[in-house]
Amino acid sequence: MWDTLIQNPMINVLLWVYAVLGHNFGLAIIVFTALIRLVTLPLTLQQQRSTQRMQELQQSKKWQELQKKHKDDKQKLQQEQLKLYQEVGFNPLSGCLPTIIQLPIIFGLYGAIIRALASTPIQLFELSKHIYPFISSSLIPLNSQFLYMNLSQPERLFLPFIPTVGIPLLTVLVVISTYIQNKLMTPATADGQSAQMTQIMSLYMPLLLGYFAYTLASGLALYFVASNLLAVAQYAAFGKVNWRNVLTLRSPSSVKK
Amino acid sequence: MSILHFRIGRPAAILVFVALAGILAGCAGGSMTASSWPGIASDGKTAYIAFNQAVFAVDLASGKEQWRFPTTADRSLTLFAPPVLSDDGKVIVGAYNKAVYGLSAKDGSQLWKFEGIDASQDRIIGGATVAGNLVLVPSADRRLYALNAASGAKVWSFTTKGPIWAAPLVDGDNAYLASLDHNVYALSLSKGTLLWSQDLGGAIADTPTIANGLLLVGTFGNGLKALDPNTGETRWTVPTKDWIWGNPVVDLGTAFFGDVSGTFYAVNVADGKMKWQLQPDGAVSASPSVLNDKVYFVTGTGTVYARKTADGTAVWEVALGTQLLSHPLLAGDTLLVAETGTGPLLFALDASSGATRWSYTPGK
Repeated sequence: MWDTLIQNPMINVLLWVYAVLGHNFGLAIIVFTALIRLVTLPLTLQQQRSTQRMQELQQSKKWQELQKKHKDDKQKLQQEQLKLYQEVGFNPLSGCLPTIIQLPIIFGLYGAIIRALASTPIQLFELSKHIYPFISSSLIPLNSQFLYMNLSQPERLFLPFIPTVGIPLLTVLVVISTYIQNKLMTPATADGQSAQMTQIMSLYMPLLLGYFAYTLASGLALYFVASNLLAVAQYAAFGKVNWRNVLTLRSPSSVKK
Repeated sequence: MSILHFRIGRPAAILVFVALAGILAGCAGGSMTASSWPGIASDGKTAYIAFNQAVFAVDLASGKEQWRFPTTADRSLTLFAPPVLSDDGKVIVGAYNKAVYGLSAKDGSQLWKFEGIDASQDRIIGGATVAGNLVLVPSADRRLYALNAASGAKVWSFTTKGPIWAAPLVDGDNAYLASLDHNVYALSLSKGTLLWSQDLGGAIADTPTIANGLLLVGTFGNGLKALDPNTGETRWTVPTKDWIWGNPVVDLGTAFFGDVSGTFYAVNVADGKMKWQLQPDGAVSASPSVLNDKVYFVTGTGTVYARKTADGTAVWEVALGTQLLSHPLLAGDTLLVAETGTGPLLFALDASSGATRWSYTPGK
């Protein structure tokens, strides 16, 4: 089911993009990531609208009064918040739904890159089961060389003056771009739990993805960097980016109480 | 990756984070799963099998382990390339850590180690070939290395355009090398220089076969090709339904091979005409073995088949119920079958009946 609906179409589109781009898998990863972002744009917009609505609600006088009034009774506060949502006709889950729909697409994209890279016999054998007949076998194996990198291996940059020390440049870029992306796109919130969650994600996500970039195939690291930069560019195009957040280590909470 | 902005507390956030890490690691194919299938070799008395973190020597008569290398688990070592036996009693095997090990066939002690593979590039996936005092080691870093069999020192190397996953075939002073870059290369064994190369239009993952004055090469998507070993010119092509992974085995003028979508073929070597074909229960990625008038092959769904070479009629078949991707190996009348799953690593079957004589599972 997963393979038929998500994984196989993605692998084959990725291979098709690779063929169109003259057998450059690095470019194929970047273009394919951009294509997926384009396809999921309506979901992203819906998510943004929902986030904005929630922010506006949190800035309203009525919301602030509820926080003050029930600050010692969390259960009551939640009940009152739910009532308020109903009054203004806002569904707090409307922001989650697009995210939930996007998750399989993100994992499918990630899986497609991993499978297409196929740098070991088992991976290549498994890939053979996922390729549609119209994709030419002459594409296999993919040319994993991109700039100075072998995309099927962890990336290390060897400089002429220190040839024995490999610098994990892409790992550094993954950590920085993930951190910046999280910070820029994090909406301001007055909700303590949300702020806490945001802080955890913005601190640990760069480290987690950095670890993956350091230890796994550099094709993935390239995908992480491309995905982060495209996300920032997409949000910036809609004027949603909060540039001031990058400079602060704290979780954003610009909503005045 | 800013995917989560739910209104949830710290424990739930950590749970989500751990789950996400697990999913990402799972998608990436963690180091816990095998990345290749076992490689087997035998000298008629002992079976040598390389899989995951060790090389195991197993007594063919009893199925008991004689030695393993390394003796204590080393997580930095990953071995899948089929071991090769030298005339002077060595077991030579390449590893994912870009090193080649020369071991004593008697006790598994390390005699030499070659670490000349470019550490920034790739690993050793294919088996080696011993030719006189040379050991030819294919590497996924696109190079074929010729080493001195006694010392492990590099004699020459030859660079192709893509990863090399298969041992070269040696015939006289010629070495025939197949690469995933779609080419077959003919090299001078003594000098390591190129004699000719031929682009076959599809990746080649296994060693070519030479028989009846023809070089037979299975390709990904472009069928089985017969080449002139002197010039590389294509004499005939047999189209197949899918990729050919394992090289063909020739017996009495007939080439036997399978493809990864599960068709097994018997082709007349002289003219490339199909003699017979059949549909087993799964992918055939491994080369078959032939003994007397029977051909033995295995499938990715775990069945071992014995068929008559003349017309493909059934002799016996045994379902071992696990993934069989390695070449089955005949040692006398014993058929050695290695599995890639979680069951026993090696099965010894009676070649005439398919009955299991013993199975071997490495102890901890």
